[in-house]
Amino acid sequence: MSAHTSTPQTQSLSNQAAAALPPGAGGAGGHDPNGEAAKAARRGAARRRKGLKALGFHAVMLAATVVVLYPGVWMLTSSFKPTNEIIGNISLWSDNMSVDNFATALSGIGGVGFWTFFTNSMILAIASVVGVTLSASVSAYAFARINFPGRGVFFAIMIGTLLLPFHVVIIPQYVMFNQFGMVNTFIPLLAPKFLAAEAFFVFLMVQFMRNLPRELDEAARIDGCGHTRIFASIMLPLMRPAIITSSIFAFIWSWNDFLGPLLYLKKPDLYSLPIALRLYVDQTSVSDYGAQMAMAVLALVPVMIFFILFQRYIVDGVATQGLKG
Amino acid sequence: MRITRKAAGAVAASATIVLALTACGQGGGTTAEPGSGEELSTDEDITISLAWWGEPDRASMYEEAVDLFESEHPNITVQTQFQDWDAYWTARATEAAGGSLPDVIQMDLSYLRQYGATGQLLDLEGQVGVNLDVEGVDDALLESGAIDGAQYGVPTSTNTLATFYNADLLTKVGVEPLAEGYTWEDYGAWIQEVSKAGADMDPQLYGGADFTGTFWFFLEWLIQQGVEPFAEDGTLNFDEAQLTEWLSMGQELRDSGAIYPIKQTKQLDPLGGFHVNESASEVTWDNFLAGYVAESGEDIQMLPIPSGENGPQQFWKPSMLLSASASTSQPAASAALIDFLINEPEVGKIFGTSKGVPAVQAQRDAMDVEPGSVDEQVVQYEEDVADVVTEAAPVPVEGFGEIEAEFKRLGEELQYGNVTVEEMASQWFTFANDTVVTE
Repeated sequence: MSAHTSTPQTQSLSNQAAAALPPGAGGAGGHDPNGEAAKAARRGAARRRKGLKALGFHAVMLAATVVVLYPGVWMLTSSFKPTNEIIGNISLWSDNMSVDNFATALSGIGGVGFWTFFTNSMILAIASVVGVTLSASVSAYAFARINFPGRGVFFAIMIGTLLLPFHVVIIPQYVMFNQFGMVNTFIPLLAPKFLAAEAFFVFLMVQFMRNLPRELDEAARIDGCGHTRIFASIMLPLMRPAIITSSIFAFIWSWNDFLGPLLYLKKPDLYSLPIALRLYVDQTSVSDYGAQMAMAVLALVPVMIFFILFQRYIVDGVATQGLKG
Repeated sequence: MRITRKAAGAVAASATIVLALTACGQGGGTTAEPGSGEELSTDEDITISLAWWGEPDRASMYEEAVDLFESEHPNITVQTQFQDWDAYWTARATEAAGGSLPDVIQMDLSYLRQYGATGQLLDLEGQVGVNLDVEGVDDALLESGAIDGAQYGVPTSTNTLATFYNADLLTKVGVEPLAEGYTWEDYGAWIQEVSKAGADMDPQLYGGADFTGTFWFFLEWLIQQGVEPFAEDGTLNFDEAQLTEWLSMGQELRDSGAIYPIKQTKQLDPLGGFHVNESASEVTWDNFLAGYVAESGEDIQMLPIPSGENGPQQFWKPSMLLSASASTSQPAASAALIDFLINEPEVGKIFGTSKGVPAVQAQRDAMDVEPGSVDEQVVQYEEDVADVVTEAAPVPVEGFGEIEAEFKRLGEELQYGNVTVEEMASQWFTFANDTVVTE
């Protein structure tokens, strides 16, 4: 089988090379007209076979793409449809397309504008990225490179927090922040990010850093660098893929977070987008699916932009972070 | 989204446990002496918080009402917040656990006992006659906001069950709507008839959904048989045999495929077959009319619900209550806000029937009811059925929300054919006996 498939490929390659040559350059072929004709016939068949295979491949891939993209496209076109044509309707087109839904979504809720929700989400997401990258990279450096007493125990505890379901801590955490008078501020949502309480990111960076050659920091140490300098000048630049991966996750998680803002932000002008998004579909009263779709589309735009800009690095980061299994 | 919902559910559940635990420590709420509250101060600056669930339109209405309240009480600032139904209860459960409920909260009958009995709500009795006037609220209705003599909530508005039918669709298939005075059995037979007539339509038309799968209808049916569903001590007052009898009533409909298929209902969730004009009737709360009309766009008419053995008895359900938090530092201002929201005619005008028909006459009179509008249809319906509304709404037992949800879940399993009527009855009772909190 492999011989069969490789032959036409090489042949078609040489075929292409021959075609690229100017006419007359392949003068040697003229001496053997029979062999040349047979070869040409073989080439034609091979080309057809290859064409068919490519066609089949592309057809399957296109079909898969349609299936995968359909819900997204449906959401996009539904945002232009009137509300009563959205639920229970899988068609992408409607005769009553309009931008009314976007007007409703942009007009805000209860006197609070869409852009307020958007700005709040943006502040939370960007501050989370800053917090996570700062705190997780520093903590990771300590775990990976500094031999302090109890390092193993602390590392195990940190990993242990990964196993703790969020729901277990949510009420004590709420009571605590409530006592501090920090409800209705962004602090409860951002403080954990700046204090490296997100063990996932610390772990990710530790694993990455362990793969970096120790010789680099040893060389720096010989040159007289302290931990600060080694971290800032040697480690940080090398950790770019891990930092970018963490930033992307931190951004998207914060952008999509619903429960945290729900519990800690009780003033409509502090609400983030996911909370506003849910308001359009209240099961006890009239639901406006059109406006919800429109707001969902608007809410997706920043994540899409963020993803497209950093797409290359996501693969880089995940491929090199050394997280296996 | 799915994970978030699950997470929210888990939080609500764990918060409920915390609520139950704190209840053990406090031994229920404290009862206030009638009229013992202090007068509302008019010079001191006061800030109180108000929370409700609902969609953006309701938010605008509340903001408008709150603006009015603030202009009438210049020294009071009301900090508002709102969420959708699920999120609302998740947030409240967490706050209750932290002892920091908002000062005034919109309350639902199904949660009243859970929050009231655990000492989270203020007994408004102390404010009655001082800052809160409940004269205009019907006694039986007011009673539905009280538990063991403590007034934990004041009903803002009422709703009652109704049978909606799609007159346009019925004309199309040539079936007469039901005549008043029909029984549950008549309703079942009528569903069969419509489904038969609509079998060839595209999309196929069904007569209605499986009404036996809704807990409130079962309660209504019990009441029509002279059974009070919940006993005074907060336990269930009906048995497995009664539940089996109720569920069996829908068996023929399920077997013959005359009801709107559960698979399609699930696809349309949170809407139903009636919304998309594939089902000709639905029993539901009368204030849902606006939503149905908006979705379906056809001529929707209302009938009283089917009658039972003792005739067409129905109850008013407070469609919404207002409660104050037990931990509020401003009981007087909180009571004044509740008073304003239930009595002020202007507020009635702002909300219309969107929360149900206002409980107080002055608000009903103030509504701009346009002839032929949805509001008029609902108000008219409630006036028409006022004679048959003879019963007080059952005050749900603690854990009501959970047993209601389990009823719905098992009802769906029944429609899928995964359980039999007997299995559903016994499984539900097992669950309910474990869930209903008895004092």
